[in-house]
Amino acid sequence: MIGPHEYMVAIFKSVSHAMKAERILKERCVPFKLIPVPKHISSDCGVCIRFAADARPDVETALIGEVDIALIRPLV
Amino acid sequence: MLHIVDAKGLACPQPVIMAKKALDEHGEIAVLVDNKVSVENLTRFGASRGCAVEVEEFEGGVTEVRLLMGGQAPSVRKESNVAAKAPAGPLVFVFSQDRMGRGDDELGSLLIKSFFHALGELDNVPDTMVFYNSGVKLAAAGSEVLEDLKKLEEQGVDILVCGTCLNYFNIVEGLAAGRVSNMYDIAGAMAGAGRTVMP
Repeated sequence: MIGPHEYMVAIFKSVSHAMKAERILKERCVPFKLIPVPKHISSDCGVCIRFAADARPDVETALIGEVDIALIRPLV
Repeated sequence: MLHIVDAKGLACPQPVIMAKKALDEHGEIAVLVDNKVSVENLTRFGASRGCAVEVEEFEGGVTEVRLLMGGQAPSVRKESNVAAKAPAGPLVFVFSQDRMGRGDDELGSLLIKSFFHALGELDNVPDTMVFYNSGVKLAAAGSEVLEDLKKLEEQGVDILVCGTCLNYFNIVEGLAAGRVSNMYDIAGAMAGAGRTVMP
């Protein structure tokens, strides 16, 4: 079981970018979970992509150049 | 001096309207009514205005309700007492579709995933979750909220999934969380709920 400290989140500039990222990661079979942006990161009513820290290279490869990532950071 | 208001033969809300007007003018009134509902309404009205209330029944079905202004502190409205109390009975979440809200389907799919994640993080998880119509897809194989739903089930949430609906969508075999339920159980869960929440 992965602990929360081993999760990263990718935050996007808009909901449509989050949706696009979701679609791309699904196609590439990169494991992730779409979650609400944690309140300690932003109070916006947004969604973000959570993934295991060791999947970061896969996530970046899949998304960079395709969607506007505002920030990738640890979940906690 | 006691002012007499004759409200015999009148139905709600007439006696209370007359009482209100008379009370403002005279401060001490006796209202004559001939039905039980009016007696109750006048008693409640008097209490809400901080009156001392006396009720006296006479022969022939006539009741005199005496209201004396300033007799006691105004009572707190019953409704607000009820609202202040936490409702008794189970907390039931109802999912009537596989999305959250109406408007845009793609957005609704995204929101329901976000919602289920947040639900799993709440301190007070629901007692029961009910799924019907396209909501049953959330509990079937291929659902993107299955992980969260199974976690809620492990936490002791009773998950009722409409069997008719699984059958209709041809996914009876695909049920992956909760138990197949029927409309009696679903109606019972909703009727017995302290609160019903429909995201």
